[in-house]
Amino acid sequence: MNPLLLPIFLPLIAAPLIPALSPRIPKFRELTGIFISIAVFIASVSLFRETAAYTVPWAGFGFDFTLRIYPFAAFILCAVSGFAVLVSLYSSVFMQSKPNADWYWFSFLITLGFANGVALSDNLVLLLFFWEGLLVTLYLFLALARENTECKATAMKALIINGVADVLLMVGIGITGCLAKTMSMSSIAVAPLQISGWGLAGFLFMALGAMAKAGAIPFHTWIPDAATDAQLPFMAYLPAALEKVLGIYLLSRVCLDLYSLNGSPAMKIILMTIGAVTILVAVMMALVQSEYKRLLSYHAISQVGYMILGIGTGVPAGIAGGVLHMINHAVYKSCLFLTGGSVEHRTGTTKLAELGGLAASMPVTAICFVIAAASISGIPPFNGYFSKELIYKGALDTGYTVFFIAAELGSLLTLASFLKLGHSVYFGKKPEAAPEVKEAPWQMLLPMGVLAGICVVFGFGAKLPITLLIEPSLAGTLSSLPEHLYGFHFDKLFLLVFAVIAAALLNHWFGVRSGGSPQKASEHIHHAPVLGTAYTLAKARVFDPYDQGMTLTFFLGRGLYVLDRVFDFLIDTLPTAITEYGALLVSKFHTGFYGYYLAWIMAGFILLALLVSYTGALP
Amino acid sequence: MNISGSSFWLLAVVAIPVFGSFLIPLAGLAARKTDKHLALLLGAFTFFAASMVLLSVARGEAVSWHLSLPLAFDLQLDADYLSAFMGVVSSSISAIIIYYSQGYITAQRGHTEYYSIVTLFLGAMMGLVYSMNLIWMFVFWEITAICSWRLVGYYRGEKELQKANKTFLVTVFGALCLLLGIISIYAANGTVDLRHLKGETIPDFAVLMLLLGIFSKSATLPFSTWLPDAGVAPSPVTALLHAAVLVKIGVYAFARIFCATVQLDPVWSTFVLFIAGMSALVSGGAALIETDIKRIIAYSTISQIGFIFLGLAAMNRIGVAGALLYILMHGVAKAGLFLCAGIIEHKAHTKDITKMGGLFTAMPVTAVSFGLCAFSVMGIPPFGGFFSKFMVFRGAASFGHPGIVVLFLIGAVLTLVYLLRVFYAVFLGPQRPLAVTAGARAHEAPVQMVASVALLGTLSLLLGIFVYYPSHYLEVLCSQIGIILP
Repeated sequence: MNPLLLPIFLPLIAAPLIPALSPRIPKFRELTGIFISIAVFIASVSLFRETAAYTVPWAGFGFDFTLRIYPFAAFILCAVSGFAVLVSLYSSVFMQSKPNADWYWFSFLITLGFANGVALSDNLVLLLFFWEGLLVTLYLFLALARENTECKATAMKALIINGVADVLLMVGIGITGCLAKTMSMSSIAVAPLQISGWGLAGFLFMALGAMAKAGAIPFHTWIPDAATDAQLPFMAYLPAALEKVLGIYLLSRVCLDLYSLNGSPAMKIILMTIGAVTILVAVMMALVQSEYKRLLSYHAISQVGYMILGIGTGVPAGIAGGVLHMINHAVYKSCLFLTGGSVEHRTGTTKLAELGGLAASMPVTAICFVIAAASISGIPPFNGYFSKELIYKGALDTGYTVFFIAAELGSLLTLASFLKLGHSVYFGKKPEAAPEVKEAPWQMLLPMGVLAGICVVFGFGAKLPITLLIEPSLAGTLSSLPEHLYGFHFDKLFLLVFAVIAAALLNHWFGVRSGGSPQKASEHIHHAPVLGTAYTLAKARVFDPYDQGMTLTFFLGRGLYVLDRVFDFLIDTLPTAITEYGALLVSKFHTGFYGYYLAWIMAGFILLALLVSYTGALP
Repeated sequence: MNISGSSFWLLAVVAIPVFGSFLIPLAGLAARKTDKHLALLLGAFTFFAASMVLLSVARGEAVSWHLSLPLAFDLQLDADYLSAFMGVVSSSISAIIIYYSQGYITAQRGHTEYYSIVTLFLGAMMGLVYSMNLIWMFVFWEITAICSWRLVGYYRGEKELQKANKTFLVTVFGALCLLLGIISIYAANGTVDLRHLKGETIPDFAVLMLLLGIFSKSATLPFSTWLPDAGVAPSPVTALLHAAVLVKIGVYAFARIFCATVQLDPVWSTFVLFIAGMSALVSGGAALIETDIKRIIAYSTISQIGFIFLGLAAMNRIGVAGALLYILMHGVAKAGLFLCAGIIEHKAHTKDITKMGGLFTAMPVTAVSFGLCAFSVMGIPPFGGFFSKFMVFRGAASFGHPGIVVLFLIGAVLTLVYLLRVFYAVFLGPQRPLAVTAGARAHEAPVQMVASVALLGTLSLLLGIFVYYPSHYLEVLCSQIGIILP
């Protein structure tokens, strides 16, 4: 068997065994999940330095089953399976007594196989196959998460949002394949397509599909709902890690390999705008959340903005920063979600008002949290700072300072919201009603520790991830990678960090003082004059594109329904009425009197005679 | 008449169900349950014979059967890649539906007639598929119309009869247009034998008339509304006629005449594409608003037929192959959906989705089968519908008309939304107060019914995983039939 097939088919083959055998063999699902993930990880790592391809005929018409490994794909592959190992270990404790755990593990492995498929696909149709296939497991994960109807509704929401995005991607791939006359990504990459005419539609649809997977605005609103309804490891696995990795991977390939983004300044501005808006809107929402997981989920959206902004700059530093931020984000955001899971596992709640002072009883969790929170807030020397620094540089290089300001402002608000979260959960006063708790079990601490460790290792100048992952990945596509992508640069950007930290601390101090408790540290922003109204409207889902879109869709549906009734009238009611009326009219002539019929015959003859005499012959 | 082995199967695939259907009433007289067993036997045989024909065709044999008749009425049956494919698809789904009927129909009055008409329908369908003479195509076309008239009005209530008449009148109106078209082809080209029309052009009037016939039979705007109304029929009938087989007659005729035989002007292609796009959109919207589960699925059929036309009228290999694949994938999945609706209706005693909810626990197998089929219709991998949907879109991109792509893009989104809405409302959503009594009684249906839907659901998945076989076949098909396909 070709080694390229292992990361895809090993989990796919193992997955159906879980619901089949798990009821009979105790611990089967946990052990299978962990061992398959580890095996896939080992297989992926062994492919790390490979460059190889594998092709078999598949759906005909140039839709071949083509897998290709090269540094970028290998990087994605290792990231995906690495997260799978950590999350599987964590889930083995967390999911033990949760409903439908068999199907959780089934979905877990199918997701792993499909995600690896996305990373390895060289044929666009194959990529789409795996990509869209993830919808099924997304739906399973969410619909089976709990025994209530809310999570079913969230599952539907997630599937519709992502399904719409995937339809866009499908059309984009159709157009791209049509323009390029091939579905092979490596063949298209030889001469990327121009973004104009049909190419513009193809690029836009593909980019939207990719960004939607990563969770960018306006395809984001299912994520906070999922944070409430889904089981926590799902959040760490998909929205925090895999979906970001895959979405940004595809986005960068679309912008670099399939199309030449640098040929279209307008598209760059559109991408950067989507990025900046995503950063700011989501972080503003995160700031006022009062629930651990929901707060994190908004950051999972906000951080995508940085990656899109970075790639959208089209500047090598920005692109490298975007990709680096993708992996950094996956690491610290998974870690943050896992700390939330530990807290939930031990205390039974994630509401900030019911938590406090956990640093004493859960020190390891608290340390992991602090490291990851410092990373996401862009505080040196942790990893998040270095990727953000590259994105800032990219944004400045484009000359549009406004995007740079948006990114810095995002950092400030991110830090502010993590000060609030950390202060509330780990350092504030413990509420009297809260029970005494102990530290989470090692199966949960280990994944968190590893991820926090990566935050540190990928920090401190960030030489390791740049030389190991980013430079090989982008070497083939970016003609010139700038030097000094890594290392500390003691310039204005570095100094600005301290200003940001100071501002965030000041804001937090002010918030706690005016609000009265760390949970209320953002109330002064929550109820600020204009913002307060905006927040109220947001809470009423006025800005939720899903709700608005559904309203619009049903409105459209009602209009189309009326149109359908009109057609029904035209082919049913109207002809029936005309026929009935005509029959009635004709029946009036049938009086039964001989004289009438004779008169009709005579009239007919006369008419015919006139006609003949007029035209000169029978017609 | 000299009949070789493969030609025997070709003759048998048409003649056995057509003439066999007349034996079913006799069998029904002989003993009570013989009718349904004979029908199942005939259905299974037809599928088997169609498969034998397909194998012969795939081996490269020329399979045909000929009966000389005066004037232009020669009965000419030919099996090529296209007809053999269509024959197997229709007969396999029909056989499954007849099996399902064993659990659905027996308890009710008039079952002998039911089985007899269904078998006759199957035979006529086979005749239509393999006919190379437009006149005979028309004859079989009308036989299917008469069968559907009897079957839609099966329950014989006032409303059922009215809807049966509507179905009949609309499709027969179309068929008469078709006949006019055929006559005008005869007048202009001197033949109605498709083998002799290959590569010819036919008058615009004939094209228009043929298209009217095709649109009415395949329930496309403006003739679409007979299809949801025909939902008053028993569910296996709706599945057979209005999802899997009858409504595919029109698209098959389009493929046979306009893709495989005569030249079609690109202006007509654009015309068909816009009609189909509007059809997909309007019925998609209607499916979103309807609350009757069978009407929703019927509207969905209209909408999906629009996608099939999208592939066919795009007039390129990938589009046509996608459309034919669509006939297969959609037939399987949509038959499954209708049959699931039958089970739900049978057990929950309502067709109104607003009165259902939480049926997942009561009927898990049906629910999962419904889900699998729905995913396939939505076009989500790894289900079969993904490939067909992608290929028609790819074909549409090659055709290169942005407006059409946008129409179908919205159509695809609507598909996603209305199917999820049904699935949520019926199986997952909260139990409605009205449905508590019905829900409490709801449980899985007889084994024939559940097994049928489970089979169709599984097929939807397997056809996606093993897509290599059908798509490879279609790749060969396109190089075989194409006269103009780029």
